Amino acid sequence: MPVEKKGSLEGQVIIITGGGTGLGSAMAFRLAEEGADIVVAARRLAPLEETAAGVRKRGRKALVVPTDVTDTGQVNRLIEKTLGEMGKIDVFINNAGIVRGDRPKTLWDITDQDWRVGIDVNLSGAFYCSRAVSKYFAERKSGKIILVASGEGFRGQRNSFMYNTAKAGVVNLTRVMALTLAEFNIRVNCIVPGFVDTYDLQPEATQKLMASTRATWRLFLPVGHMGKPDDIAYLALFLCSDASDYITGGYFVSDGGGLTGGFATTGYAPVVSLMEGLP
Amino acid sequence: MTAKAFLVKDKIALIAGDSKLWTKPAAVALVEAGADVAIAAKDTPRLAEATEAVRKTGRKVLAIPTDVTKAAQVKTAVRRVVAEYGRIDILVNAGDVHFFQPFLKIRNAEWNKVMDYNFNSALSFCRAAGKQMLKQKKGRIINIVSGLSERGMVNGATYCVAMGSVLQLTRVLALEWAMKGITVNAVGTGWFAEADRPIDEAVARYIPVKRYGEPDEIGSLVVYLASDVTEFTTGQLMFVDGGVMAHA
Repeated sequence: MPVEKKGSLEGQVIIITGGGTGLGSAMAFRLAEEGADIVVAARRLAPLEETAAGVRKRGRKALVVPTDVTDTGQVNRLIEKTLGEMGKIDVFINNAGIVRGDRPKTLWDITDQDWRVGIDVNLSGAFYCSRAVSKYFAERKSGKIILVASGEGFRGQRNSFMYNTAKAGVVNLTRVMALTLAEFNIRVNCIVPGFVDTYDLQPEATQKLMASTRATWRLFLPVGHMGKPDDIAYLALFLCSDASDYITGGYFVSDGGGLTGGFATTGYAPVVSLMEGLP
Repeated sequence: MTAKAFLVKDKIALIAGDSKLWTKPAAVALVEAGADVAIAAKDTPRLAEATEAVRKTGRKVLAIPTDVTKAAQVKTAVRRVVAEYGRIDILVNAGDVHFFQPFLKIRNAEWNKVMDYNFNSALSFCRAAGKQMLKQKKGRIINIVSGLSERGMVNGATYCVAMGSVLQLTRVLALEWAMKGITVNAVGTGWFAEADRPIDEAVARYIPVKRYGEPDEIGSLVVYLASDVTEFTTGQLMFVDGGVMAHA
């Protein structure tokens, strides 16, 4: 295969949950540009339609399936509808998630219901979707499942209970799924984004929250700036493409060095001479 | 006050390596938990101070002036401990020399010195004392490392590589000697107050508990890993860091 063909997604059908906004839409556009037909699934119809329009503008087919990933019935319908309309599925990207709902709550204000919703959307949904699509992949003896965790899945953050807990779960869900499904020629990998500036791809309420936290995030970014949506979209492209056929159970971090540092804030650069240090 | 289960009564501990921070607290914590100790480090007032602190507790202490960067001297030091006490139950590698410079400014001589003090000394002591522990079919090796054994930091090339090497040595020896009665673990450290350096307030704010640690605070974990209850714990890195490694 010529090098320039490697990584092309010509004719593939890829489902992206949480595909209406943020990283989901960025992935949809990038993968469409590489030749994939895209199915976007999320709860709200309007953003999905926008992403679909962007995919069609790039000359690819798009299908919109409003879906709540925490509802198994709706997840099954997403798979059926995709197979009905597109004929097949090659890759399933579990991208749906919510950072902290609209109003972050303190520990003692978090209700059982809040906890369940946070874990459901960020972790259980990925399980329901992967379970459903893997049945089809197993029969077909091929397929790729991609999960999207977060650097937060490897570290703690004050008051971020459901998100950080669920994302840590996603990393290990990837491993269990990869081992379980390897014999069916199904590859399961995990994308770990750091702080990515998806401002332009977000609804207004989320934009406000993002603007207020940008300055803080810089402190944890060795490269000194947030990631671009395409930084993650290209990682998705790699994991969708046949370039990653022998890769499974792995997690792939694109975070501007965030997880590599984390012993001091960005910019901290001590100078200690050997004369001072020696005994 | 050490819980009874963690006591290391009459065990022989060797605290090895040059460190501004860890030698005295490790030695004092172990004697307070019932051990007799030997300290192998360069012949400096620091060695004298650590020795004196132990002597005050009434337990036995042996100061062995050693250039820990010379393998032959390390061997001699270990032989001396065995000659004096009959065995070595616990080895604590405490070597920790700080050195931070922009990568391209680091001279070979500096690189090698830092590796010698922070890594090769631990390597030599693991060799010499490990041999003795294999004979005994029992032993505890505790390597004190920085969080920079796992994380990177600007200007930290030499230091991070040396500490990372100690951590990997910990894991390898834990596996090699797993069936031989020897456990090998690492105590990970975060930001600790040094008597001769001011506290950096920005760093202090970054630490979840909002303060630097006091070197004494590593003592209890060293004792725990030295005790008989940790027979099933090996190859591990455990932190005393005020939460630094937990957050972003």
